[in-house]
Amino acid sequence: MTFQRRFPTLLRIGIPRALLYYHYYPMWKTFFETLGGEVVVSPPTTHTMLLEGSSRVVSDTCLPVKVFIGHVISLVGKCDYVFVPSVRSMRVRVHNCPKFLGLPDMTKVAVPESPPVMDIDIDVNRGREKLLEAVYAAGKILTNDRARMEQAAEIAWEANLHYRRFMSTRRLAPPQAIERLSGSDPAPDQKWQVGGNQARATIAIIGHPYLTHDEIISHRIIQRLERAGCRVVTPEMVLAEELESAVARTVGTSYWTFEDEVTGAGEYFLNNGVDGVISVVAFACGPDSLMMEVVQQRARSSPVPYMNLALDEHTGEAGMITRLEAFLDMVMRKKRRPSCASA
Amino acid sequence: MRLGLTNMANIDVAVRAMAKRLQIDLVRTPASTRRTLSLGVKYSPETACLPFKLQIGNMIEALEQGADTLVMPGGPGPCRFGYYHRVHEMLLRELGYKFRMITQDNGIMNIVDSVTEHAPKARVAAAFHFGITKLKTIEEIDRCVHRVLAAAHDKGAVIRLHRGAIEAVDEADSYRTLRRTKQEYIQELEDLPKVDSPPLKIGITGEFFLVIDPFANMDVETELGKLGVEVRRSTAVSDWLRLNPFIYIFGLLEKYKSYRAAVPYLSRHVGGDGWQSVGAKVLHAEDWDGIVHLEPFGCMPEIVARNILPAVKEGPPVLNLVYDEHTGKAGLISRLEAFVDMLKRQKKERQSPLSRASYGLSYERNNHNG
Repeated sequence: MTFQRRFPTLLRIGIPRALLYYHYYPMWKTFFETLGGEVVVSPPTTHTMLLEGSSRVVSDTCLPVKVFIGHVISLVGKCDYVFVPSVRSMRVRVHNCPKFLGLPDMTKVAVPESPPVMDIDIDVNRGREKLLEAVYAAGKILTNDRARMEQAAEIAWEANLHYRRFMSTRRLAPPQAIERLSGSDPAPDQKWQVGGNQARATIAIIGHPYLTHDEIISHRIIQRLERAGCRVVTPEMVLAEELESAVARTVGTSYWTFEDEVTGAGEYFLNNGVDGVISVVAFACGPDSLMMEVVQQRARSSPVPYMNLALDEHTGEAGMITRLEAFLDMVMRKKRRPSCASA
Repeated sequence: MRLGLTNMANIDVAVRAMAKRLQIDLVRTPASTRRTLSLGVKYSPETACLPFKLQIGNMIEALEQGADTLVMPGGPGPCRFGYYHRVHEMLLRELGYKFRMITQDNGIMNIVDSVTEHAPKARVAAAFHFGITKLKTIEEIDRCVHRVLAAAHDKGAVIRLHRGAIEAVDEADSYRTLRRTKQEYIQELEDLPKVDSPPLKIGITGEFFLVIDPFANMDVETELGKLGVEVRRSTAVSDWLRLNPFIYIFGLLEKYKSYRAAVPYLSRHVGGDGWQSVGAKVLHAEDWDGIVHLEPFGCMPEIVARNILPAVKEGPPVLNLVYDEHTGKAGLISRLEAFVDMLKRQKKERQSPLSRASYGLSYERNNHNG
């Protein structure tokens, strides 16, 4: 605490570039920087991070969590605190996967050498008072002024809404949007260009952004498709309201926090003129095992080509490339002969 | 309406009792077998958890027996269970089955209303009470069997009596018969000749369905009993039914105690029974010799628990058993035997003054973990 009083601007808060980074990084960055902290982000995922993360948790833990742990390890020594909130629920009666709920506790056990973990509960089902308590818990390392913390939280929330609108109106992927919005120094190889009118086909990739946009986990699926001349769209590029109504059409109410980007996105893209839909799931992802099944059922009765890729740390690039090539062959063949009946 | 339910331990006994008193036509869902599991696996998503697959199998078999209405509770929560009914319904309809699915996202009471077609509340409450009493009776008999099976000479007799007791409870049609049946069977069980040495006490923790249902967990409790182990279980089906305030308070207090105990390691609910699984290790550090932790493959809350359990330095050794449709009983028994052997050896060494003198502190219980 003395650190904060004497050197408030030098307090470094580490944020792992994994899991919820893709959803909420601008919000968290804004919050901490508004209160005078310095935000440090781990570098983009490397194979070493994946290996080290995998070695610290039981093997059936899902891949994105293993990568997350690897990122936390890479932040050791680079910051004073690591921010790992337990994001339980962002909407009433809509919960997050248990891995998110238990993330701070798992992190503390898996990375005992990490800087102190900032471990707050974000749960809108517990009422406004509890939410404010979480805000105070997050901000207290930087200031004691509750009014300032509340104000910072509101500015941060606005930044979050702006980030999501930015992505859906400009059709940007999270890493690109984050780069443009924050003007911070991005990793050099994380630059995508969403292709223009010369694209051979438009392919939608549905699934969680922490899979699709993580180059190691996804084996650069987006770049490969773009290099093959396709325009790639992801759930972040769709207006939130559209995804919500797509969820309503399929399963009624959302069950999990990220139902929009799986069930909602699947339903939306299967019915909105893309040439093909690819879904990415992490092997043994609990929520996706059921949500993606709903999408697959829709896909079975849809003429749009659809492929599911299950990813884990054993996924080989060669296998991924073969499947993408086969899929694109099918998509292009279908485009050349639109009169053919659906597969 | 011909109602079909999925199987879970002996809950069908309670439901049959209620259905009889309310004149509901309840189809007798066949007991789960390998065919049930195969059907479930064939039609379920590959990485769905084991309870999901078993339930699809049960539902298909219930539909084959003529059920036209299925019941499946659901409701918001982190674990997958509340989502099941959406996918169950979707898959079964895709297969062409015609049925009505009763499911409420608001819990058991609304389901009861739908199923009983708004029969008078007093009759429903009375039928419910009888059913719950049967359930409690079975649970008391179960606890007695846990104690007796560990110490009995003739394990087969215990298992036969257990089965007979459940059948007798199923047939009992009045409170008096129920009481008499319970007393008779418990007396017979207690009267069986026993061995002298005090058995090991092993607690079973983990995912609810797997802990409760013998088909799903491949009779892990019976196998442990055959190895001379007294099984302790703090979860029971009646935990689910928060009607009887006495059960509720007792069951819930135990749960809260384990949550509080877990706090230094896991300070929050992670869905399902994850918090309890961690807390049980701390809570029963003194009175359990070992823990067998059961989880279906992919069970998210239990994976969180399994990651945290090694950090809990106090508490007994834990054997983690992960089940899926490929689990083989032979492998299961080997692991149980090895675990029980280790625990017996540890216990003997702890109690022997000679070993304490020669090996010193390194054999103290706390250092056996990690």
